[in-house]
Amino acid sequence: MKKIFVKLIWLLALLISFNTVVSAQDAAPAVIIRGKVTDKKDKSPIVHVSVAETDKDGRIIKGTTTDIDGNFAIKISDPKNKIVFSYIGYKTIEEDIKGRTTINIILEQGSKDIDEVIVVAGKKTDNGNLSVNDKDLTIASSKIAAKDLEEMASASIDQALQGRMAGVDITASSGDPGAGMSIRIRGTSSINAATNPLIVVDGMPYETSIPSDFNFGTADDQGYAQLLNIAPSDIKEIVVLKDAAATAMWGSRAANGVLLITTKRGIVGKPVLTYTFQGILQKQPSSIPLLNGNQYSNLIPEEYMNATGTPLNTLNVKEFAYDPSDPYNYYNYSQNTDWLGAITQLGFAQNHNVSLTGGGQKARYFSSLGYYTNSGTTIGTSLMRVNARINLDYIVSERIRFATDIAYTFSDNPKSYYPGSAAQEIRNVALNKMPNMSIYEYNEQGIMTPNYFSPAANIQGQYPATYNPVAMANTAKNRVISNRVTPHFNLQYEIIPHILTARTDIQFDINSTKSNSFLPQIATGRPVTETSVNRAYNGDVDAFNVVTKTNLIFNPRLPEKHTLTSVLSIQTSDVKTVSNQVLTSNTASSLLQDPTAPSRTQNTDLNVAAGYAQTRSVGALINAQYAYLQRYIINVGLRGDGNSRFGPSTRYGLFPSVSTRWRISDEKFMKDFKFINDLSFRASYGQSGNTPRNDYSFYNNYSNFGWSYQGQAGVYPSSIELSNLRWEVIHGTNLGLNFIAFKNKINIDFNVYRNRTKNLLFYGLQIPTFTGYSSVDMNVGTLDNQGWELNIISTPVKTKNWVVDFNFNIAQNQNIIREISPYYPKQNVTALTANGQYQAFLQINNPFGAIYGYRYKGVYADKNSTIAKDEKGAPIIGPNGQAVYMRFNYPTTNYLFQPGDAMYEDINHDGNIDYKDVVYLGNSNPKFTGGFGPTITFKKNLKISAFFNYRIGSQIINGTKMTTTNMYGFNNQSTAVLRRWRNPGDVTDIPRAMYNTGYNWLGSDRYVEDNSFLRFRTITIRYTFDNKLIKKLKLKSFSTYFTAENLATFTKYTGQDPEVAPRGVTGPFTIVTDVSTTPPVLQFTLGITTSF
Amino acid sequence: MKKKLLYIVLVSATIITGTSCNKWLTLQPQDGITRQEFWETKEQIQSAVTGCYASLLADPAGTDRPLPEYMFLWGELRSDMITGGFGVTNDENDLMTANVLPTNTLAKWSAVYKTINYCNTVVDFAPQVLNNDNTLTQTQLNAWLAEVRAMRAWLYFYLVRTFRDVPLKLKSTSSDLDLQQLAKTSGDSVLMQINADLAYADSNIVFSYGASATDKGRITKYTVKAMQADVFLWQDKYTEAAAACDFVINSGKFGLIKGDGGWFNTLYYTGNSNESIFELQYDAQRLNSFYTMFATNKQRFIATNYVMDQVYTIDLTNDQNYDIRGQGGAVRTSDNLIWKYVGFNYPSLRTQDISYAHWFVYRYADILLMKAEALIQLNRGSEALAYIYQVRKRANALVATDLNPSPADKNGLTDFLIAERAREFAFEGKRWFDVLRNSKRNSFERIDILINMTARAVLGPRQQSAINKYKNPDALYLPIYYTELLSDPNLIQNPYYK
Repeated sequence: MKKIFVKLIWLLALLISFNTVVSAQDAAPAVIIRGKVTDKKDKSPIVHVSVAETDKDGRIIKGTTTDIDGNFAIKISDPKNKIVFSYIGYKTIEEDIKGRTTINIILEQGSKDIDEVIVVAGKKTDNGNLSVNDKDLTIASSKIAAKDLEEMASASIDQALQGRMAGVDITASSGDPGAGMSIRIRGTSSINAATNPLIVVDGMPYETSIPSDFNFGTADDQGYAQLLNIAPSDIKEIVVLKDAAATAMWGSRAANGVLLITTKRGIVGKPVLTYTFQGILQKQPSSIPLLNGNQYSNLIPEEYMNATGTPLNTLNVKEFAYDPSDPYNYYNYSQNTDWLGAITQLGFAQNHNVSLTGGGQKARYFSSLGYYTNSGTTIGTSLMRVNARINLDYIVSERIRFATDIAYTFSDNPKSYYPGSAAQEIRNVALNKMPNMSIYEYNEQGIMTPNYFSPAANIQGQYPATYNPVAMANTAKNRVISNRVTPHFNLQYEIIPHILTARTDIQFDINSTKSNSFLPQIATGRPVTETSVNRAYNGDVDAFNVVTKTNLIFNPRLPEKHTLTSVLSIQTSDVKTVSNQVLTSNTASSLLQDPTAPSRTQNTDLNVAAGYAQTRSVGALINAQYAYLQRYIINVGLRGDGNSRFGPSTRYGLFPSVSTRWRISDEKFMKDFKFINDLSFRASYGQSGNTPRNDYSFYNNYSNFGWSYQGQAGVYPSSIELSNLRWEVIHGTNLGLNFIAFKNKINIDFNVYRNRTKNLLFYGLQIPTFTGYSSVDMNVGTLDNQGWELNIISTPVKTKNWVVDFNFNIAQNQNIIREISPYYPKQNVTALTANGQYQAFLQINNPFGAIYGYRYKGVYADKNSTIAKDEKGAPIIGPNGQAVYMRFNYPTTNYLFQPGDAMYEDINHDGNIDYKDVVYLGNSNPKFTGGFGPTITFKKNLKISAFFNYRIGSQIINGTKMTTTNMYGFNNQSTAVLRRWRNPGDVTDIPRAMYNTGYNWLGSDRYVEDNSFLRFRTITIRYTFDNKLIKKLKLKSFSTYFTAENLATFTKYTGQDPEVAPRGVTGPFTIVTDVSTTPPVLQFTLGITTSF
Repeated sequence: MKKKLLYIVLVSATIITGTSCNKWLTLQPQDGITRQEFWETKEQIQSAVTGCYASLLADPAGTDRPLPEYMFLWGELRSDMITGGFGVTNDENDLMTANVLPTNTLAKWSAVYKTINYCNTVVDFAPQVLNNDNTLTQTQLNAWLAEVRAMRAWLYFYLVRTFRDVPLKLKSTSSDLDLQQLAKTSGDSVLMQINADLAYADSNIVFSYGASATDKGRITKYTVKAMQADVFLWQDKYTEAAAACDFVINSGKFGLIKGDGGWFNTLYYTGNSNESIFELQYDAQRLNSFYTMFATNKQRFIATNYVMDQVYTIDLTNDQNYDIRGQGGAVRTSDNLIWKYVGFNYPSLRTQDISYAHWFVYRYADILLMKAEALIQLNRGSEALAYIYQVRKRANALVATDLNPSPADKNGLTDFLIAERAREFAFEGKRWFDVLRNSKRNSFERIDILINMTARAVLGPRQQSAINKYKNPDALYLPIYYTELLSDPNLIQNPYYK
């Protein structure tokens, strides 16, 4: 490291000396100019004023500074040039030399430069290629400034954005530190789950996907969150582009919307050091009440007896023997353990961020260093992150400027061990774990030992279905470490000043992620011959991306009343990922936690694998915006894309877009309505193309088997050739209205949209397996994604001391299939014959989300109540006069309902519960979603802001209720089952316990619930200290705030969290199911922001 | 000047991007070889054929059950010799109790068709190698084609016996342009295709690959004959079946392993013995899935008491006099553990990491008993009995199990033969098909065999409904898995499950 440094310094020195040599050679006959610089107010000389000779383009030829008396002398090279005097805090003065040799200058105080920068930056919206005034925007977008995000206790910006903008939905995949987020803009335009928007940072696309074949140490890829790790405090603003006309500019990956993030840049002024601090406390709310050990030990033998008719043999099943003469089993299986509580802790996080910004006329800088650490609410989970950023601007002349941005992020994210499926995750296992079992093992004498009690198997099963969660949390390891460097270089050259500008960007992105996990024997208790014992994993995925963008911006000077801005852009991207992973097992000891230790590799469970994938794309774009009188505005664009994921015949696509704005408020007939500041209509149409998710899918690829046959290697066709795959094209139309009135006190933005996706890409479409494959990716049809959204920003009160702002947003979104391939199934299941299933149908031209199932009528109290009844309620009599009892699915299943079984409504009164009794139960498509909140400011010092979000009119399946009351296995159940049917005559709403048999939890309205809710999402109280006090402390600013999140939820829903998958319905058969076992984490934040 | 320069730059940039773009966007996968580059040499055919065999051991993607597991489940679960252990799944339980619905995952045929597609791929593309590789002879090519066509026939035979009417796919699926939504083909037509494939294999396949292990691990002329015998019996073509058996018997290359102390070790534990004709070769690289099925404490299946009590019986007067195929052959008598695939040195088990017992497709005893079955139907009872007694004698079958039928008593001979097959091939995935084949003969003349077996197999409240179900011939075949119906509207469900 040191060596590199030394080398760099030598290189730098060489360059500098070389430069001076060159300039010395260039030196023309010298003219020396002398003078003195004084302050306008007190006439005192100013020291260190920079004095520079500049040419007509503003390029600095030579420079010096004034001495202690304010005097300077400068040798100039060309008397036609100018001399520029600048000093921080003073207005800059430019003087033509005009042959003078003495120039005395008086400088005036004022920091106008700084103001100008801020004003311009705030008013414009940049679509990434063109910068357009907000009021001239022809597209649908929403913007959020960093100020609004500051109070959020978020580790990443996606968390902070949650619920803030109409039509933008963000959900966390879990509450653990470093958990991934899914972002949806205006619902989803595809019927596949994973369709995150394109993220553009400082004008360059930012890669957020990982190779699909890499499994992160058997963790799910959703949990991979090292993707969007830009410190929230580095962000100046975020713009979301929503309509297709706007996203068309970004090409293929922008089909799901674009999130434009602009980071802060240096501004002219003295160096300002800002420090922000956040301290966060997170508390896992209590889960649903579960049975304790005694209640559980009552339930299970009863459940077994009901199902088999024979008592559970406690001679073999020691778990329920409760035999004090067998102390080992007696003590180990007679506890009342709260497994969830045992792996839960308070979470703490702190976030420190220091930034330094400033600059002079020529060079400006913004640099920041952040440190974030978070211990999660589950034992063993945490996140540590360090990020650094430096944004440098160097203005060579008025025509040439460079920018160099370098960002670096390191994160270390220990997670819970992931055994392979969501049901086997630690919190789920803890919830289901038998509560009569002990955490620590008791020995044969009944004395507690310090060892975890991890039997190889017991009645509940074995790893990975169940295990000792406390042992797992404390001894297993699963760690993801990532390093990411993103250097971004930019050169801007004004070919014709103010008219034609060329701008080239190149960005490298080096992202290295290492994942390391280890599963010690004690966590699972499995015998040492198995491969789950001391299983060590090491995986590494490195992504190398090169993205370039070359823009030619043309703003011709047109006669007054006309304006034109246009851009020609050529973009390329090359994304390469290389991965390798090793999974071995049976290392000699639980202390040898890396596959580098001698361990077993030869088994199909274990693997050594490497992957390589590369994607390239090119895009060319022409876009022009023309305005007449600022009243009639039109924007047209055309984008051509080429992508390596297609075969040669379908590789290229052309996507046009057009958008317009008509400002009615400027028309003459609107002159009388003085209170209207702006009233505009917008209309837009655009196309954008989506590429398939996988590389090389147009090849029929032959791979080797992971094993040989009699020592010979075998080859098989591992993938089907997808020669039919085409661009998925989204045709977006948007109609918008902007209304601003009463001196900007009310600002309404309303949009109606329809995104029609043609050639809808569907991944993993089930095909008949006699083809040899079970699924293919295919363009299957046409999907409409339509809705409207309304955003109101208002300032109802604005007095000297009080300012009250109130924001409100509401949106509705529906997905409708218009056309579909014959391969696409028409329903999700053919009949409802298994427990826990619901039916959904694909109905063309109908929004999806409808739920079908049986109607639950309670529990059969006794034998008599199971007699089938006709329409009039009279018992049905068989041909021989015998009573006919209710049956299930005659003749295929032909189960006779017994007393204590769940009773379903016999809609057609035929004494048989089957597909004819399935009815419509509800719809999981919300009618409205949105958020609102006031912000109250008092005397500019105290600011209170609150935010609520809500959803109205949707039904979901309470999956947690289903699994915690079904009494079907050996999993622990909720306390609701204490009122289960036990004896004939019992009248209750919970059926009898039946181990692995019966039809007590068929998909019925018992689990369908309305999940409308109103959530008090956040409240923040911020206090900004007075200027006087701050000056005394020699600070520039100082404020502190307190935020509470997820304080309360108002809902009729009986489950833990009504806000499940707010993205709603993603496919025609999606039946939104809530499986959360705990409500969202309660979070309190204390923050401090100060600058010097 | 400046404008001119700009113009030149723009024009040249357009030209360069225009021409080099396509090249830049053409990327090749690095973890495999594309079809366009494959099928160039005879070694590639060889590895593709080996791939077909390798796919018999397990699903390459690891998402489906291994094929032998399906063969076991389809052949054994509905029989009277097996019952659920502690880890039995609902789907398995439903198949055992005749409660199969189209949602039952055991009704998936995907594993079979996957290998059929690999075979079809070889059939479609291997012949083009002749144009590229001069060292490939027509005979050699035909021999490889014979191998994969025999394999395809054998797999279709499984489908016909399990589902009866199935879609007949003989072209490979290589591209999404090849996708089809086929209708079912009747079982009889599929059997004709099977006969055609086997006939082709019969005349083109090799007798030996030069090494004894490969002769047992790959399909040879003798395997094809055994398959033909099996298919002919299913089609009630007894003369042809007997002739096919005779070919194997007269070759003199096979014999029964002597029923002494080393019998289990030679035949099952080590494998590839003189008795074996074709067995799927698991090894340390690719373990079979039987260990978790039979040997862990959450075992999915155990043998019923009926196996020792009735099938093999016990000589209460002399515990040294026992049928070697029972105790220490098929079961561990102390806990009814299914022994054949997980046993080592009775009564101790293999360990899981060496659980690579082979899966038997055909062995010599099968040929003898198939011959006997054909002879019974050809009214040559006494010859048939000779073969049955040959098998019994090797195994030291107990007198209690000798039904002693008269050579003229066709029904008695059939009962005796089926009982002997149950003893000889216990848990080798043949029981249900043996019973079904003999029951369905002459329009279900002997349905009583199947009904009696079901009465023993399904106990408790489901017994009567199971018996009633199996009286409907459609119920003797599995339903089509529901996702197949959803993705192919031309498929029609087996009427029993509609």
